[in-house]
Amino acid sequence: MTDIVVSAVDIDSPLSAFWRRMRRKRVALCAGCAIAIFMIAALFAPWVAPYDATTPDYDHVLSGPSFAHPAGTDVFGRDIMSRIIWGGRVSLTVGFVSVALGCLAGTTLGLASGFAGGFLDSVIMRFCDVLLAFPGILLAIAVVAVLGPGIANVVYAIAVFSMPVFARLVRGSTLALKQAVYVQAARSIGVRRLPLILYHILPGTLPGVIVYLSLRIGTSILTAAALSFIGLGAQPPSPEWGAMLADGRSYLGVADHLTVFPGIAIFVTVLAFNLLGDGLRDALDQRLG
Amino acid sequence: MSQLFPRLILAAAFTVAGAGSAIAAKDLVIGVESNMPHLDPANTNDTLSQSVERTMYQGLFGFDKEMKLIPALAEKVDVDETATEFVFHLRHGVTFHDGTPFDADAVKVNLERVMNPDNHLSRRSLVSMVAHVDVLDPSTVKVVLSQPFGAFVNNMAHPGTFMISPKALAQYGKDIATHPVGTGPFKFVSFAPDTVKTTKNESYWKPGLPNVDTVTFKAVPESGSRFAMLQTGEAQFIAPLPAELVKPAQAIPSLDVVISPSIVARYLALNTMKKPFDDLRVREALNYAVDKTAFTKIVFNGYATTMDAPIPPNLGFYSRQGAWPYDPAKAKALLSEAGYPDGFSVELWGATSTLAKRAMEFLQQQFAAVGVKVTVVPLEAGVLTAKLWNVQKPEDATMQMDYTGWSSSTGDADWGLRPLLYSKSFPPNLFNIAYYHSATADAAIEAGLASADQSKRAAAYAQAQAIIWKDAPWVFLSVDQLIAGQSKKLSGVYYMPDGGLLAEEATLN
Amino acid sequence: MLTFALRRLGGTVIVLLTVSVFVFGFVRLLPGDPARLVAGPDATSEDVAAVRAEMGLEGSLLQQYVRYLGQTLRGDLGRSARTRQPVISEIGNRFMPTLWLTLAAMGWATLAGLVIGVISGVRRGRWQDQTAMVIAVSGVSFPSFWLGLLLIDLFSVRLGWLPTGGYEGWRSLILPSLTLGATVAAVLARFTRSAYVEVAGEDYVRTARAKGVPERGVIWRHTLRNALIPVITLIGLEFGFLLGGAIVVETVFAWPGLGRLLVDSVSLRDYPVIQAEILLFSTEFVLINLIVDMLYAVVNPEIRLR
Repeated sequence: MTDIVVSAVDIDSPLSAFWRRMRRKRVALCAGCAIAIFMIAALFAPWVAPYDATTPDYDHVLSGPSFAHPAGTDVFGRDIMSRIIWGGRVSLTVGFVSVALGCLAGTTLGLASGFAGGFLDSVIMRFCDVLLAFPGILLAIAVVAVLGPGIANVVYAIAVFSMPVFARLVRGSTLALKQAVYVQAARSIGVRRLPLILYHILPGTLPGVIVYLSLRIGTSILTAAALSFIGLGAQPPSPEWGAMLADGRSYLGVADHLTVFPGIAIFVTVLAFNLLGDGLRDALDQRLG
Repeated sequence: MSQLFPRLILAAAFTVAGAGSAIAAKDLVIGVESNMPHLDPANTNDTLSQSVERTMYQGLFGFDKEMKLIPALAEKVDVDETATEFVFHLRHGVTFHDGTPFDADAVKVNLERVMNPDNHLSRRSLVSMVAHVDVLDPSTVKVVLSQPFGAFVNNMAHPGTFMISPKALAQYGKDIATHPVGTGPFKFVSFAPDTVKTTKNESYWKPGLPNVDTVTFKAVPESGSRFAMLQTGEAQFIAPLPAELVKPAQAIPSLDVVISPSIVARYLALNTMKKPFDDLRVREALNYAVDKTAFTKIVFNGYATTMDAPIPPNLGFYSRQGAWPYDPAKAKALLSEAGYPDGFSVELWGATSTLAKRAMEFLQQQFAAVGVKVTVVPLEAGVLTAKLWNVQKPEDATMQMDYTGWSSSTGDADWGLRPLLYSKSFPPNLFNIAYYHSATADAAIEAGLASADQSKRAAAYAQAQAIIWKDAPWVFLSVDQLIAGQSKKLSGVYYMPDGGLLAEEATLN
Repeated sequence: MLTFALRRLGGTVIVLLTVSVFVFGFVRLLPGDPARLVAGPDATSEDVAAVRAEMGLEGSLLQQYVRYLGQTLRGDLGRSARTRQPVISEIGNRFMPTLWLTLAAMGWATLAGLVIGVISGVRRGRWQDQTAMVIAVSGVSFPSFWLGLLLIDLFSVRLGWLPTGGYEGWRSLILPSLTLGATVAAVLARFTRSAYVEVAGEDYVRTARAKGVPERGVIWRHTLRNALIPVITLIGLEFGFLLGGAIVVETVFAWPGLGRLLVDSVSLRDYPVIQAEILLFSTEFVLINLIVDMLYAVVNPEIRLR
């Protein structure tokens, strides 16, 4: 005789069951492959990109898309397609790592806060309130003042200001999940706190986390560009996608290709992460069922 | 019968409306780039606030649209040969917007206000050399200086010494900053940091002016949106219009693009106290390494002119020096001669604006071609000023190269040279961040200030510029061109070389 | 619930005090001399010293903080170093525009986000879902200046229906709130969909269906209520962020909001304004998070707040 909780334990191992479900989600797998391709292209940029990212060509500035330059050239005559490929190194890293760090820290805090409740909850939430009060720009400036400029510090800065959001998201879900039937049941049969949190509550918070994580990747690439306006982040001539967008701003209506192509790069990346995220979430979800 | 009355009312309404539009108000709206923090002329330091103040305030002297000194509230001035005594003969029959007469007492009140250290006014240095102000009679004022200052009349044309109504000063105190009362062609209506409204001064002392009924300044920071304002007719004049938008603007038949010279110079300051910039050959090499024409084309879309003297052509006592031609081979040769056959590495500082970054990237590319490896370091304004201007001792300065610009707001060579290239102007006193010190240049700069005689000053400044040009403490780059967009219906609004706006003669057709 | 709220408000004081210390210390950490920045490039060092005296930057840090705390508690937030106007009026003048913009943007974004999200969830896997996904992703991948300038070009320049910017009348609110709300709508749509999909498979929904409750009732009554928890959290957070100003939208539409005030004040190291704004944001977030927590309990009565 098995009760409800025990029936959640599958016949074969959880991991292979998850993988079996994942394999069926073709769209998500394609997205995963796409991301892998982008990363490889970025890693092997010197061989993949047709041109160098920094060599200027003053005779061909601001030219639109053509056979020689599929994405056109920028204000120094540099090939935009190549710069996008090279730029993937910085943008993909900053985009993903910064949000992932914030997510990790925030999820931990949120789980602890929501599960423990009481005084710990108050302290952690008030700490988040203090962080939330400081707009991202200010926190980023603080990071620069303390750690100095440089792309690594952009990552930390973005992680710091996305952390309280993840914390509050996860805490909210945790509060609700604490009351769920299957959690109460697990508790009643003596499951300890840590496994309870990790195996029963955390998976329930993951859908929200995955959605927010995959959306924020685009936002953090754009934020990194905004930070360069206060001297933080990738410095010229680094072909970072957000910076390319920002530089193209004054040319809207005159040379739209400067903003359109980096924008498409960011769009495709975020789309891929979202599709992958959906697939992951669905595959995980059935485990709870 | 019951139908007739409403119809009559309607007809009357239309007639009145029609008549109203025939004598429609001529309202000028000027779109500008940034907010106007406040309107106290003795405390503002940005050309925009000064432009707005210029519609309502005037000084003893003023500038015409080409930055030439012209009399304003003073008709003429007598200067003694030691350049320490200035007697101003004031214009008759001028009143402030609140009815107070403009006279010598008003001048004394205003000058003493700015001179007074307890008022903490940031433009105090314009009159810090004044010993005392004497009222000789209601339309004559004598100003005695504690040391010679040949450019003093220029200081009286600077917005910092605009004349405010003494009655208003007494009435508003510190709040005069948001309640301007002056003698200008327009009177104050309302203030908000992004919108300042003024209306016609019916009793303005210049006959026939102004021609428009109201002038409103609207701050619209995004240049694309500012341009949209011009296109929809919400504004009739916008400044600045970025170089990228000139072509689209020229394509619109109802708009005009106005291009005028400026006194804004852009250059690369080199720290002449640090290796390798202490070697003249290195500095010369860097000047030969930059293609100045390509610089203006790539960075400013062609809307800039190459520098041919340490100060821009529209500045008083400018003296043309020549050119540093583009010669990368010669640059490499000079570098080898100086002991750097493989070049060297260096940090290039500058602001974080799009234009500054573009300029720095361009310079990076040019210098790379002669072996100089540049790391571009854009710095936020606060950090930049701290690292450049707060340095107490020259040995502690960490700057190597800094891409920067300068505009002499007094329109005179003195303020274009002395704060930047005089040996007593090292930070934190003034802004000689190149730490340039040359005894001969110093002597020439001092001579320029010691007399008010135009020809003596001209000779002194010509000599100073020649010395500085040869010594190349800077890589001399470009002089901005000012670009504004206006409706074809508008005339009489001018973009002055210092970036200020003159709206006194505005006319709408 | 009441005692909870009261205890939370007590905690607020601690938060505000902590924030005030942090922001006070933080702005002084920033490199740069505020007096020099405010006095401007043409000022000599004597001018700068004059400005410094006026800004009250004399004395040790502790002395400055005590002076600042005392003044704040008395309601005197000081004068802006840049404009010499009282900080209260600087912020006050921009609070209403920011509030209006926030309300308008959140209003339509919440509506659109929820509706699109539910549709996506119900029609999961079909073309409505995919389309909504693509739109949402564009919403967060393209910068808002792009959308803003596009809207201005279309509705102001070409069609002449709406003003290009500024804060005058309800018409000037439309384009900025559309631009600002776009990202929020995108995020909410995705969240709503995800929450819906997750809960739709839950046991009790199946149970309700088994009991014979009609499909429509199932969707609305049982599913949505619990699915709302993460959505409410996010709405609260986004509301808080928007109340802090929206720098890009304010720049593109010349909207006199708190975002630009903060950025300008930071550039010029205008300490009094920065400090006051952060305290304001902090208060706003504390209140918002309090309301959100109370809403959790309303939506899901099993959640106990302590």
